[in-house]
Amino acid sequence: MTARDENGAAVAPGGATPYWPTPLAARIYASIGGLFVYVRAMAVFLVIWHLVSLWIGNPILLPSPIAAAEALVDLTRQGEVFSNVVASLTRLGTSFALAILLGVPLGFAMGLSRNVFAMVDPLIELLRPISGIAWIPLGMFILGVGEALPTAIMFYGAFFPIVINTVVGVRSVNPGLVQAARVLGVGRAHIVRHVIWPAALPNILVGARLGAGAGWMAMVAAELIGAPSGLGFAVEWYRELLMTPSVLAFVFLIGLLGYLFDRLLRWLQRVLTPWAQTQGGAL
Amino acid sequence: MNLALRLRPFVLPALLLILWQLAAMQAAPADRMPVPADVLATGWTLIASGELPLALLQSLQRVMLGFATSAALALVLGTAMAAYRPVGRNLDPIIESFRPIAPIALLPLAILWFGTGTPAAAFIVGYAAFFPMIVNTIHGVRSIDPGLIRAARTLGVGRLTILRTVVLPGALPNLFVGARLALGVAWTSIIAAELAVGAKAGGGASGGIGQMMFVFYAYSVDLSGIIVCMIGVGVVALLIDRGVRALEYWMIPWKR
Amino acid sequence: MEALDQAAPKIRLDGISKEYIVPRTGQRTLAIADVSLDIVQGEFLCIVGPSGCGKSTILNMIAGLAEPSAGTVAMDGAPIRAPGSERGVVFQDYALFPWKTVRENIEFGPRFRSDARLGAAERDKLVRHYIDLVSLTGAEHKYPHELSGGMRQRCAFARALANEPEVLLMDEPFAALDAQTRLILQEELLRIWGEDLPRAERKTVIFITHGIDEAVFLADRVAVMSNHPGRIKTVMDIDLPRPRRESLRATSEFQTLADEIWQLIRREAYEATIDRR
Repeated sequence: MTARDENGAAVAPGGATPYWPTPLAARIYASIGGLFVYVRAMAVFLVIWHLVSLWIGNPILLPSPIAAAEALVDLTRQGEVFSNVVASLTRLGTSFALAILLGVPLGFAMGLSRNVFAMVDPLIELLRPISGIAWIPLGMFILGVGEALPTAIMFYGAFFPIVINTVVGVRSVNPGLVQAARVLGVGRAHIVRHVIWPAALPNILVGARLGAGAGWMAMVAAELIGAPSGLGFAVEWYRELLMTPSVLAFVFLIGLLGYLFDRLLRWLQRVLTPWAQTQGGAL
Repeated sequence: MNLALRLRPFVLPALLLILWQLAAMQAAPADRMPVPADVLATGWTLIASGELPLALLQSLQRVMLGFATSAALALVLGTAMAAYRPVGRNLDPIIESFRPIAPIALLPLAILWFGTGTPAAAFIVGYAAFFPMIVNTIHGVRSIDPGLIRAARTLGVGRLTILRTVVLPGALPNLFVGARLALGVAWTSIIAAELAVGAKAGGGASGGIGQMMFVFYAYSVDLSGIIVCMIGVGVVALLIDRGVRALEYWMIPWKR
Repeated sequence: MEALDQAAPKIRLDGISKEYIVPRTGQRTLAIADVSLDIVQGEFLCIVGPSGCGKSTILNMIAGLAEPSAGTVAMDGAPIRAPGSERGVVFQDYALFPWKTVRENIEFGPRFRSDARLGAAERDKLVRHYIDLVSLTGAEHKYPHELSGGMRQRCAFARALANEPEVLLMDEPFAALDAQTRLILQEELLRIWGEDLPRAERKTVIFITHGIDEAVFLADRVAVMSNHPGRIKTVMDIDLPRPRRESLRATSEFQTLADEIWQLIRREAYEATIDRR
């Protein structure tokens, strides 16, 4: 007879020596390994950056990563990081919430009703190619330089991906599921609530992630051109002062906040739609 | 009844135009709010004088320059990352770290490094286009059915030939997805870059559609000019999108 | 000619084993244990066995796509280390290139292989010959997704043949087809293989299947495998006369051979259906 281990799998005649001690340990090793690779890759990148900055020898063109880190620490101590992050995050939160609150119901209406779709879709297709950024000059006229402009621009950038993905989500619900619910005698409202909504949710969340990405980019541009505060404004402000380390510190913060917001949405995807096949990993 | 159904698509755009007209008629003359007819007239002037097409072409040129450079880089790097695990593992953290940084945030750096001309704008465009391109290249190469590569190997085909005859066509649909996304963000970024260069460098002679919008905004205070530019931006975005789709349809006959 | 058979086998499997390490859990699993088998020139060998007995792994090792953990696989006395055009493979899912038409798929080997590529004129002649041989005339310019299952199988077969290999490896090539198509293609396979030719001029075929009837109908010899780990239980000679026709299936000799094999693997086949590992 063949030797078998506790899981019933056949084992080499030589003896049962599993490769890893246990599956759990294997997973822990793997994640430590991943962290190690990440740290090593970033360390190599920072060292190269440092060497290039030494070689260029001009701290205005390219300061060393150490100078940039010092600038970040200083700006944090002075509270300037805090005020700009709060300004940008407030706009992000307001406009993203508005885009979801208006975009998702509109997408549902368009997905469920042919009439609504036929009326609204042409307008969306007319406006969509005009990117949020192209609205900045007109926006500055109408709204002036201030809080409203970046919020409105980000809303505009986030709105279309959310509407379009909601429509796609509602429309791609397997008609067999709807029929199954109907032959069980379930009414229309409950079908929308318990069949269409969960079936469309993965697409809606992918749309939210796309919208957040596009909106964030548009908002940073709007802040850079026409706002008195925020991360985009700070980047440009310090460029004019030729304080490049501070520019880099704020560029880093823009990346960090964008990344964290995407992580938050990914976490929502996992929690709300654990069954989904498409999390839009390769957005 | 039938007529009503056919008119549905025009209801909202028409309503929008009427509202705009009414609002403009209500507004004080000092607001310089144009009526739709003004925009049409301005549009005609700008097209007839060749200013608008020239500005759009200038911007498009920068987009193509930045896109071509970064697409070539992303193609090579992405294929290497997908095909060789060590390369992928080590470069992935760096790419993922830079991806969330909005391209426009780098504009101040680009101005520092390259000045306010084409190179700075092309840098921003290239940076913006790089990420959709590389992510989709990696995804495309990884999603190729390994059975096809095995089949080619059993036919005695060498590695480089497999790259050309199996990997490239296998990844092509994803490459087109990447190109469409990349050109989309590239076109958006060029406008932001030109606008910001105009705004911050005090209307330098960099040209392009974003610059033109800025001049209308800051100097001639011409709202209908701005709106014409916006429509131009939208039309070009649409043309880019449809162009890539047409190319895709033509180059991927096996998916029709 | 006959002496050649006795002197040296075309393919020799000598004490091969294959061990897997399951990536996530780190479990070691022995898929194949100590398999030895000689296949002579011009022979049609079928390997049957329950699912998961390592049939396909053996085929992959002969193809050069996998390496044994122990033992050697050799062709004409030389160890096999990599895939090569002298060994053609027909895959279970066909592995046709979706972006190539029937014609382009069939000419893929002669056109792109590393050694002895053919020019356009030669290729054209070759491809036309094989398209006719597998009765795909008229479908040359279709893409794989436009073909029926049977036509895809014909195309995959022609692609392997057009590379003119000495040994043809077939990995459950008819598994995905409906029963009627399968019967028709079995007979055609024998016709194309060249039942009437002298042995030295036939291709050597190694054919993996889990269909016992299929194996008896096609093979000169049937190697019966067992599970956990995969071993060769018996090699049975199938001394049925060639050329074989549909009517052969009804004879008592055929039924006896098929039943004999079924009895050998029945228990394990049953266990495989309730496998709880």
